Amino acid sequence: MADKHTVLKVENLSVNYGYISALEGISLHVDQGEIITLIGSNGAGKTTTLMSISGLAAKAEGTVWFKGENITKMAPDRIVKMGMCHVPEGRKIFPALSVYENLIAGSLGNPSLTKNRIQELIEEQYRLFPRLKERIGQAGGSLSGGEQQMLAISRGLMMDPDIVMLDEPSLGLAPIIVEDIFELILKIRDMGKTILLIEQNASMALSIADRGYVLENGRIIMEGKGRELLADPKVKAAYLGA
Amino acid sequence: MEYFLNQLVNGLCQGAIYALMAIGYSVIVGVVGMVTFTYGEIMMIGAFSAYYIFQALGNNLPLAILAAFAGAFLIGVIVYKLCYEKFFNAPRHISLLCTIGISMLIKNLAQIVFGPETKPVLDVIENRTFTVMLGGIRLDIKLLQIVVIVLVIVLAGTLTLFFNKTKWGIALRAVSQNKDAAYLMGINVKRTALIGNCIGSGLGGIAGILLSIYYYSVSATMGGAYSMKAFAASVLGGLVDIRFSALGGLCIGIIENLGIAVSAATFRDVFAFGFLILVLLIRPQGFVSKKGVRV
Repeated sequence: MADKHTVLKVENLSVNYGYISALEGISLHVDQGEIITLIGSNGAGKTTTLMSISGLAAKAEGTVWFKGENITKMAPDRIVKMGMCHVPEGRKIFPALSVYENLIAGSLGNPSLTKNRIQELIEEQYRLFPRLKERIGQAGGSLSGGEQQMLAISRGLMMDPDIVMLDEPSLGLAPIIVEDIFELILKIRDMGKTILLIEQNASMALSIADRGYVLENGRIIMEGKGRELLADPKVKAAYLGA
Repeated sequence: MEYFLNQLVNGLCQGAIYALMAIGYSVIVGVVGMVTFTYGEIMMIGAFSAYYIFQALGNNLPLAILAAFAGAFLIGVIVYKLCYEKFFNAPRHISLLCTIGISMLIKNLAQIVFGPETKPVLDVIENRTFTVMLGGIRLDIKLLQIVVIVLVIVLAGTLTLFFNKTKWGIALRAVSQNKDAAYLMGINVKRTALIGNCIGSGLGGIAGILLSIYYYSVSATMGGAYSMKAFAASVLGGLVDIRFSALGGLCIGIIENLGIAVSAATFRDVFAFGFLILVLLIRPQGFVSKKGVRV
């Protein structure tokens, strides 16, 4: 179905919460090695899109293809084990687990990892986030917001995924830390991962994205190259505050 | 004074059993995320599994403990399938009421299958008493008490290692803290919750047989009060913290035994549940420190 460079393909996806429809037939695709961003205001359906892709929210209609396989009806834990990492909104780290245990929990998502590989991955996280190494024995809940976000991302990277889906990684963080996070996203792409990024911080997201989709009231109203969307007057007016 | 110190020893021993009960209980509540009222019946099934081992094969304690664990583990599977699996996204009182119903069902079925009478459990551990002189005070410690305390310590230690050092343990703790996030770690949440529920039940089963040995008897209706005591003990840890639950169990054991020293043995339960009410009045969320946890 999906051609071999397309990692993730969503066709005509609809999601309802009770009688309210949250998504009305959206379609998007993410190719190998791209950074794709999905922007939109509060309640546009961004988080719902990710939740239904990773199987946490029930789909009313539509199909999701991941690496050429139909994952529409697959259980969330099996989707993860195929190589999809979803870093949820609000970080959702395990507060009473230590930083190290949080990382190990991340590695559970990929049963093919050997002990040595897990150790390598942990070293890799230390390089990406030197701060985590200092806090390795501390409880996850004792970290600051920015550190928790970093932990959530590196917990996801511990499963050595093919695609990383980030849900509002900049939410509630100080501007200087937001810049760190976006630099990090570029680094993760350079490691060979494909990225689907959801953001309210549209200007930042579009400036690093290869392509972007604009979501409004559960529909995709615009799509295009990151820079083109950034220059689009309608996007500017609605999301960039210009 | 001598009498009080001896009661303290009794309290420690009984408290150790209560601690094991409470540990099992808090494992269940923590991993499943819902309160259970079938725990007493699970303990009773554990005790009966061991009782029939004693009947068939003589007083083989290690085998009986394994049987108690296995019997309670299996009942745990049934309880999980009936009371929890379908109700993870339903309002909590549904599974709660369901556990009350299943508890009555198991208790009454047990009276039919095992018989309504109290059955003796005698001489499982040799009736020997060690006497310790402590500055002129004579302390009597039974071999039974030593075995119970050592066994509880070993089990609690094993469980702690399992939870902290193995991948399974980390998965169980992850599920108990955030089920959605656990899904996103590729953890099969339902299977993990099932196993956690059964491990907790198995520990309850072992506590059941220890109580039977301690009181030399087993009966189909033994579970009720113990179920409530396990609940009371784990309230100290907000129902889910293993260490505080164990401490709560120990406290209840000691309070009960010192309490009946100043009153009468029939008032035993008054002290246990007085403790529950007191904890709920002072600190209903439990005593687990939330310091250093920013969410």
